[in-house]
Amino acid sequence: MALFQQPANDKGNLMKEPTNKIMSAREAIEAFVHDGDQLIIGNYTVSTCAELVFEVIRQQKKNLLLYSQSGILDVEVLVAGGCVDRLVTTYVLRSGGKFGGSAVERALKAGSLEIEDYTNFNYNARLEAGKHGFTFMPVLEGVMATDLFKIRGFMGEDKYRVIECPYTGKKILTVPAANPDVCIVHVQRADRFGNSQYWGAIGSVPAAVLSSKRIIVSCEEIVEHEIIRSSPHLTIIPSFRVNAVVEVPWGAHPTEVLGYYNMDRLMYGLFMVAAATREGMREWMEEWVYECPDREAYLTRYFQRFGMDILNSLKAKPYYSAPANYGSAFTSVWNAKGEERDMGLTLEELEDIIQEKGLFHE
Amino acid sequence: MSKPYTLNELLIIIVAREIHDYEHIILGQGLPTTAGALAKALYAPHAVLMMESGIIDFDPLLPLNHIADAHACRGFSYATDLFSTFTMTYRGFVDVCFLGVAQVDKFGNINTTVIGDYFNPKMRLTGSGGAADFISYAKRTILTMRGGQFVNTLDYLTSPGYLEGGDSRDRSGLFPPGSGPCMLLTTRGVFKFHPETKELYLAQIHPGVSVEMVQKDVPWDLKVSPDLTETEPPTEEEIDFMRHFAPGEVAGRGLRTELVLANLDKKAQRCLNKT
Repeated sequence: MALFQQPANDKGNLMKEPTNKIMSAREAIEAFVHDGDQLIIGNYTVSTCAELVFEVIRQQKKNLLLYSQSGILDVEVLVAGGCVDRLVTTYVLRSGGKFGGSAVERALKAGSLEIEDYTNFNYNARLEAGKHGFTFMPVLEGVMATDLFKIRGFMGEDKYRVIECPYTGKKILTVPAANPDVCIVHVQRADRFGNSQYWGAIGSVPAAVLSSKRIIVSCEEIVEHEIIRSSPHLTIIPSFRVNAVVEVPWGAHPTEVLGYYNMDRLMYGLFMVAAATREGMREWMEEWVYECPDREAYLTRYFQRFGMDILNSLKAKPYYSAPANYGSAFTSVWNAKGEERDMGLTLEELEDIIQEKGLFHE
Repeated sequence: MSKPYTLNELLIIIVAREIHDYEHIILGQGLPTTAGALAKALYAPHAVLMMESGIIDFDPLLPLNHIADAHACRGFSYATDLFSTFTMTYRGFVDVCFLGVAQVDKFGNINTTVIGDYFNPKMRLTGSGGAADFISYAKRTILTMRGGQFVNTLDYLTSPGYLEGGDSRDRSGLFPPGSGPCMLLTTRGVFKFHPETKELYLAQIHPGVSVEMVQKDVPWDLKVSPDLTETEPPTEEEIDFMRHFAPGEVAGRGLRTELVLANLDKKAQRCLNKT
């Protein structure tokens, strides 16, 4: 595994000017997601990057190795869309209880999908290792008593390995680092350079994104760079790691985005009913993925089918975080009289002293 | 006479009764978050509710849909990440966690991954999620079961209980001493683990339930406590809280889904008529 990665920007660190990375979902997926890639869903349970996922399906990307911490809507449609050969996850949707099913279950039964199961912590630990440039991460040893440890899928011996702690001699269970080729993620807001802000249930989102080699961000809104600079604690991805920024209002619908909108239980309910059967899923995807070239078309169809009332009722009522004071006492070393505070001298006075002492080179 | 209640409501209420004031509690998806809200409102106002998505010290506004629900985020004390929530548990800062069960064996080992063969499943269930790590390191784990089954042999061991029973969990050296499941709560009764053999036994039954009804679902010769008690029926206060906070629970999962689907149909139909 290469510990040192190419910077996200092709011109690497030589390009100091921040670049405007705004593009459409179609352009971003075309440019940065390739057949056979390891693709990771950056989001965990909420704020699912639905529009980016749908675009991957519309472009019929193939043979992906898919990572998703909690494989719900995202994994179901990507598997049903025939994009995925292999899946690494901790949680699979099951629609309709005992009598239902899922696209994942159907694909496993058909032998068209291989799965590797981890615990939430194990999965997150693989990304944490990848994010920091380590080759593995210790995990909690209790899993050694389970079939997660004993039964291995396509990762075989490398699913887990046990080492001895060099300090205590204790047995340490480890998982290998993951550095997916490309991450797609939906956040609340970003600037045009790619600085991306996400808040609420943090889950494994920063680890999923930052462990990846390429990063495509979709956001509810593009904001001015100054907004980012005044709230850096909300930034989870720095611009220099980001390849593409896509502005997609309602881009996570029917899942929720904290501070923007709730989960749409009507649409999610219809999806859940659909996911239970192969035919239902095919029809749902025809209607909401293939026949809608982009999110605008999807929303237009939604309004036509269900009217505006439901979406309007889902909009979040504001509950603002208290502003954090990032201010300091001074904005430069010079006081109001033009003197450097510690030496008590103006620049002229300081330069005179240096001149007197003969320290200047001419 | 207490107010009428359903066994599903009673299950959530007895889960809530296991939460003590000032404890740090990890709540999983579904029933436990509702129990957490009930406990905080009635008996454990200082309990710290936590979810693995990194939402720590929250007060749910309504029954949560999942462990990252926006309705847990309107004011909470500590936004951390999933990785740190588990290492926090590993280091002993979590008192109790609640886990749902699909299959359980007589030593409290759990399967939530698959029915049938792992590679050729009859039914693919959700998987571990956080379960395996939480039951390994929380000081206490309380199992809850609605619609799951007791089995002699699990199809897949997702989360470790007392392994082969006796002191095998402690002997493995993988877990903190004294950790492990402490009880299993179902809509029929309360099961506990024998202190030596670690075998599951029936400790308490709910009002209106017979021992035979419980034994019928258990494929091994289930031992029954000589001091078998009956669950105290819910108080009026408990029922009122449940009906107000989580009215869907009076219906239980099956009936509630039916009612929701009927309403979905109605809503979709109404929308169609409008256009």
